[in-house]
Formats: sequence, C-alpha cells, structure tokens
Amino acid sequence: MKNILFGAMIVVLGAVAEGRAAEWILEGSTLTYHVSHTLHETEGISHAAKGKGVCKDKKCDFLVAVPVKSFDSGDSNRDLHMMQVTKAGEFPMIAVRSSVPETLDGASFTVDMEIQFVGQKALYKQVKFARSDDGPATHLSATIPLILTDFKIERPSLLGMPVKDLAPVRIEMTWRRKDAAAK
Amino acid sequence: MKATLTMLKNITAFTMAVVLSIPSIAAAQSTPPNAAPTATPSAAPSSAPSGDASTGISLDELGFGKDQEQGNAEDQAILDKRSHMLKIHQILGLINTGPMLATLYTAPGGKSNARARDLHAYMGITTVSLYAATAYFAIRAPKPKGTKDKGPIRVHKALAWVHGIGMIVTPILGTMALNQRNNNEQVHGIASAHGAFAAITALSYGGAILSVSIKF
Repeated sequence: MKNILFGAMIVVLGAVAEGRAAEWILEGSTLTYHVSHTLHETEGISHAAKGKGVCKDKKCDFLVAVPVKSFDSGDSNRDLHMMQVTKAGEFPMIAVRSSVPETLDGASFTVDMEIQFVGQKALYKQVKFARSDDGPATHLSATIPLILTDFKIERPSLLGMPVKDLAPVRIEMTWRRKDAAAK
Repeated sequence: MKATLTMLKNITAFTMAVVLSIPSIAAAQSTPPNAAPTATPSAAPSSAPSGDASTGISLDELGFGKDQEQGNAEDQAILDKRSHMLKIHQILGLINTGPMLATLYTAPGGKSNARARDLHAYMGITTVSLYAATAYFAIRAPKPKGTKDKGPIRVHKALAWVHGIGMIVTPILGTMALNQRNNNEQVHGIASAHGAFAAITALSYGGAILSVSIKF
C-alpha cells in the first residue's frame, strides 16, 4: 500500500513539475507603433495582445497576437486610415511567433520572430529583448524594427511625401507561468 | 467684363453639372479596384493566422473570438470606400478655398454696380456647388460599426455644423440683398447680416481645415 501511495505521489509531483514548466501566459502588454513623416510623428498603442508559450523538449514556443484595430493613436480618423492601409478588414490580426530555449538566462537575449501581418509573413532575426524577473512574473521589452514594405503595405503619404518605411514597434510584456498564475 | 461674366457663367454651369453627377460617380466607385485580395506566393493562406507547425500553438487557444480573428472582404471594402471618399472630400475641400476666397474678395459692398454683384453671385454659386460636393463625400463615406470619433475630427465635425448652416443661410441672405440692391433699395432687414454670416462661414471653414492639418 505504501509503495502504491509513494508511486502515485511521484506521478502527481512529476505532473505538477511538468505543468509548471509547460506553459506561459501573457498577463499584460503595451505595444506601441511609431510612424514617422517629415511633418508628423505618430504613435498608436494597444493593450489588447494575448499570448501563450508552450515549453517542450527544452524549447519554448510562443505565440502573441493582437487585433490591428486595437491600436489607438488618439485620432479615430487616423486609426481607420491605418486599418485601411494595413487591410485590417481582411487581415484583422497580427500574429508573432518565436521559439526560444527553455533555459534562457540573463538580462538580455535575442530572438528570431516570425510576424504575420497584412496576410504576409516576415522573419525578423536577432531582435534584442531586455528581461527582468519579478517573482513568478517575467517582464520583457524590445523594439521590433518593422519595415512596412516587408508586408507590402502601401505607405500613406501627406502632401505627396510618404511616411518612412521603418515603423518600429515597442513591446512591453509581462509573462507569467500558468501554474504560478493559478495560485 | 461681359466676356468675364460669360466665362464665369460657364464655370458655374460646369460646376453645377459636376455636382449633380457626383452621386453616379460615387456609385460607380463604390467598389474600389483593389478591394479584392490579391494572393502572392509569400502571402499567408488565410485571413486569420492559424496554428503553425513550428510553434504548435493556434490563435484559437489565445481566446480571441472568431469574429475578431476572421477577416472578410466586406469590412475591407468599407474601409477602402471610406478612405477613397474622404480623399476626394479632402481634395475638393482644399480646391474650394479658391472660389471661397474669390467670393469674399469680390464682395461688392454697399455702393456697387450690377456687374460687380453678378460676379460676386457667380463666385458664390461656384463656392456653394463645390461645397455641396465636398460635403457629399464626407457625409456618404461609410464608417465601420462601433467607431467612435476621437481627436481632431471632433473639432472638424463641430465646425462643419457651423459652416454647413452658414453655407445655407449666407446664399439665401445674399439673394435677398441682391434683390434689394437690384430694386435700388439699400440692403435692409435680415439681408444686412449676409456679410457677417459669410465671414463666420469662411472662418469656421478655415478652422475646420486647420483642425485636421495641424497636430495639436
């Protein structure tokens, strides 16, 4: 009987331990795009991203997605124009995928990210992330050097001058292990 | 002077014809040429990013509703049509500053002759006609459901109420003033407010343009 109980405990503890390492949930985020024009600088912010990470075989796969229409620049007309230019009607989501080693240490690291946007995919290599741990939560921040023409986006223009092709996206994210979040 | 007036008459008639034909132009343009998606070899296969073999996580697992994940051509067509119509609104609005300034410049004042008054009237008719066309494209531009106005567009729309009313009242008062002057009377009664209404209309029109041009 003792052996059976001991065996059951090992199985349960093993499952819990595996569960702890298995999943990450995006708890909060701030994504900010920055568009530059000779006459204007514009930023749009979204807090609507959702994300998940699954760790398996010493590798963690992450998916983060955000609705295009959730970006708010403080000007509804500009936001609707942004949605038109980025074909948000047909392609309402931006999805970012990446894989990182499970044992990722240090205050900074680089990640290859596959971004799906406007019905196109583009790979951004070696995007530098800064990391800080706060108990069970992990804060990550980075800037993706998004290039509009990578996604075949026709650059909007003002007075005949198009916006710059580089539209960096600043990312601030807080991730939490799913088992820790359940506590 | 006669030749100038004849030319202005022709311009006014042409502007009126353009304005009257606008609904048919807009109807013809209701489906923009690039509304349909064009697939490219590097394009993702569907509108909603789905599960990926490399990550194994699907978008469904994140908890977005299907309505948020799935796009459709109809929504995009609305955005395209809106953008297209507002672009025309913007261009016509800027063009109309010309006739509007000319109308103000040719305002004949109290001691005017009939030709000066006619010139001013034709300029006014041209301005109002172009204004009607400009307003048409703004009013008829479709808006996606649930959109709430935010930012400078609220000022732009508030001022549109002012110059919109002004564009109706000013020509009516102008016609009254013209009739009084043509009858060799001094402009009197409510018609004497024509100039004040014109000034308020022009100022609010300029303000509306600036409200969406200057970043506050």
